[in-house]
Amino acid sequence: MFEKMKSILMRVKADYADIRHEIKKETRIAFNGKELAEIGSNTTDGYVLRVLNRGGCSSVAFTSATDHEKAIRAAMENAQLMANFTAQPVVFAKTDIIKDKYCPKLREDPRNITIDEKLQLTKKYNSLILKNKFIATTNINYVELIREKHFVSTEGSEIKEELITTRVSGLITSRDGTLLQNVRVAAGGSNGFAILRNREDEFENKTRIAADLLKAEPIKGGRYNAIVNQSLGGVFTHEAFGHFSEADIIENNRSMRQKMQIGAQLGNEIVNITDDPTIPNQLGHYQYDDEGVVAQKTPLLKNGVLVGRLHSRRTAAAFDEPINGHSVAEDYRYAPIIRMGTIFIEPGRETFEELLETLGNGFYIIDAKGGQTSGENFTFGAQYGYVVNKGKIEKMVRDINISGNLYSTLRNIQAIGNDLKLSQVGGCGKGQTNIRSCYGTPHLLISNLVIGGA
Amino acid sequence: MEKTINLAKKSSDQVELYSLEQTQNTIRFEDKKLKDVQSLMLSGTCIRLLKDHKLGFAYTRSLDNREELVQHALESLRGGVAVKFDFPQTTNVPTLNTYDRAITQTTNTAIAEECRRISSFLEQKTKGQVNLHAGTTISRAKIVNTAGTDLSTSASQYSITIMLLYPGSATGIHKTFVFKAFQNVDDSDLTMLVDLYNQGDKESAASGGRMKVLFMPEAMYALIWRLQSATSGESLYHKQSPLVNRLGERVFNEKLTIADDPLDDAKPGARAFDDEGVACKKSVIIDKGVLKNYYYDLDYAAKLNVTPSGHGFKTSRWPGDTLSVKPSPALQYITFEKGEESFRRLIHEMDRGIIICGALGAHSGNIPNGDFSIGLSPGLYVENGEIAGRIKDSMIAGNIYEVMKRIIGIEDTIHPAYTGYYPAVLFEDINVATES
Repeated sequence: MFEKMKSILMRVKADYADIRHEIKKETRIAFNGKELAEIGSNTTDGYVLRVLNRGGCSSVAFTSATDHEKAIRAAMENAQLMANFTAQPVVFAKTDIIKDKYCPKLREDPRNITIDEKLQLTKKYNSLILKNKFIATTNINYVELIREKHFVSTEGSEIKEELITTRVSGLITSRDGTLLQNVRVAAGGSNGFAILRNREDEFENKTRIAADLLKAEPIKGGRYNAIVNQSLGGVFTHEAFGHFSEADIIENNRSMRQKMQIGAQLGNEIVNITDDPTIPNQLGHYQYDDEGVVAQKTPLLKNGVLVGRLHSRRTAAAFDEPINGHSVAEDYRYAPIIRMGTIFIEPGRETFEELLETLGNGFYIIDAKGGQTSGENFTFGAQYGYVVNKGKIEKMVRDINISGNLYSTLRNIQAIGNDLKLSQVGGCGKGQTNIRSCYGTPHLLISNLVIGGA
Repeated sequence: MEKTINLAKKSSDQVELYSLEQTQNTIRFEDKKLKDVQSLMLSGTCIRLLKDHKLGFAYTRSLDNREELVQHALESLRGGVAVKFDFPQTTNVPTLNTYDRAITQTTNTAIAEECRRISSFLEQKTKGQVNLHAGTTISRAKIVNTAGTDLSTSASQYSITIMLLYPGSATGIHKTFVFKAFQNVDDSDLTMLVDLYNQGDKESAASGGRMKVLFMPEAMYALIWRLQSATSGESLYHKQSPLVNRLGERVFNEKLTIADDPLDDAKPGARAFDDEGVACKKSVIIDKGVLKNYYYDLDYAAKLNVTPSGHGFKTSRWPGDTLSVKPSPALQYITFEKGEESFRRLIHEMDRGIIICGALGAHSGNIPNGDFSIGLSPGLYVENGEIAGRIKDSMIAGNIYEVMKRIIGIEDTIHPAYTGYYPAVLFEDINVATES
């Protein structure tokens, strides 16, 4: 494959070019209620060509190798257009030339498991859920995605990396009369099929929550002190803070760039945030990004002070900051953009029980149900929660959405637990979908959260 | 395609091939700078097989290896997904005006120049930062099956989204324009956008509570996703809809009429047939507040023993690869019937309220139940019929089956927006949570 890609690159008359070829192998099994809705495997592939010429950079994605001449022409024209319109020529930060092949260590390679075994495992978890009489239906999916990526650049890099992601996840819907409630359930990761085995507890627990939600009261909107669990804290860290650590998000936003200056005190001094794609056996693990740059652990917030940022080669040069290997594409249809790998708030000292005691009265809010940011404002849903009264967990509440401002929320993190937990499935939709987006925190005690109830 | 069908026919009762070719150019302008120009040249083929009422499905981006595609579909068939439908024989569909050849003459340079013109125009009238996303898409879809359907369609689209950002955030006033080929955005439209933006220039510390709320077209999808979920044949079949067995009932305010009209080729992207080869038609979903129709693809229509409505589309709410998914029931062409009040008149009717110009987190919350709880991105505060400024860190929450009964007025113009064509709609008595 490298030779074929190099022969395409040889035809590009530019200051720099790289090409990525991906073979994407996907297996999907889906149950809707008790019915099998989908099963099958597919293999497909495509190319992304990037050129940098005379200070203009552009990319073209194409799926037919015979289109490569057309793709080169389009990429060169687009790069020329960029150069004509750009006062500040694009420069790529220097990176090491790498020739390597990398495949993460797996506990059971899903390619060695028959599709029938995958079907039986998915069916078992789905059946466990459907045993509960309050469950109206399910949407439970097995998804296995294998990306075989080849990267070649005119600088001489030649990298092959395999990214293998598996998960069993979906939605459990309970019903009582006309009232419908739902809860997400997930098990997965990027370190092999074994992580999907023996997960009955997870599916049974979420089934019980879905049924209990039918009796829960809607939360009343207002401002509250609350403990958020690791999943919800992770979504806050990813959505509200993480995206503003991505240089391509803030580079042309005057006010955000001013606020996100290295050295700025953004949060309470107990808050430390890091992104680290190098942690093995985690969903967000990779060795090289899609510009052929080695992934690096990147401290972002230390004692509440901004100390780092996530970069591509282009933004690292523009900001005059170090590259750290965070430029990642969803697949062969996209050029890479800046992405978090595994972002987390580092653990503090307090136990969960100590956090409850400090909270006194408020809410304990659990598990994320999607999130979104717009500038420094964020909104994300929670799957369920509990009233906390004098440090004790009491009745369940539902219909919880949290809205807030990044900076005031970072300042309002009053205490951090000692129980860091990272997510097993992801799905960040920053223009492209990154199913390996990994995040987490310990339990967090946050004051003055705006909660929009029903 | 014929060779692939012949190969697949050897091992199945019925075969369907769907192919899609797409070329796309996207241009992003941020704060006076051309940020990005990207092109896409994608093609692909999907196959569905039926044998003994079982379904097999596979897709590929290349037909170089048609044996592999058919092999994957046969393996999928062996998995045993049970279905009750047959592929349709559709031969007569109306010819729609969906492709404007002028699109092929549009260069990325011309689009970038238009972005620069708009950016300069707006920056003269406001202090806000201007961001623009623009681009062209040309697509050709073809569907062939062994029942005798052989249909194809070509479509062209030029779209531009203009965003005026408020300082200190990435939130602001935005509007999307879509055409079948490149054209300049009218200065009058740009002026309206600036006027609204400038009225929200000041930050306002409004207190929360129950009040009137004006949903702009750009935020309407937050409500429509709930309705799409409730009226889908898929939700009905899986008992996930509060609207099951409620045809003929008044579920919303009588001012509200909502249709799905794929045949309206005055708008870009019209379709005479869906992604399963079923003829499309106009469907009224809500008529003066009364629930009139659900919508189905082939699969769920057969499961519910009703006629397919031509709503089987390969679609994804997120930026997924639609080629890789099977058709499912989808409302792709939603249009609200316009009302009788001007936009200004609707604002004047608000003694105290919020204009929602964008929704944050519309995908979270209990969608099947109709619940929504969204951040305002941004929300403009109205007092005594005048916009007093914008409010920060605020949310609204409710349930569409309560909120959409409480409509005060509907704008007399519809606008293209995410998921459909909508007017601004004024509701009363919605719960707003604010910072104060």
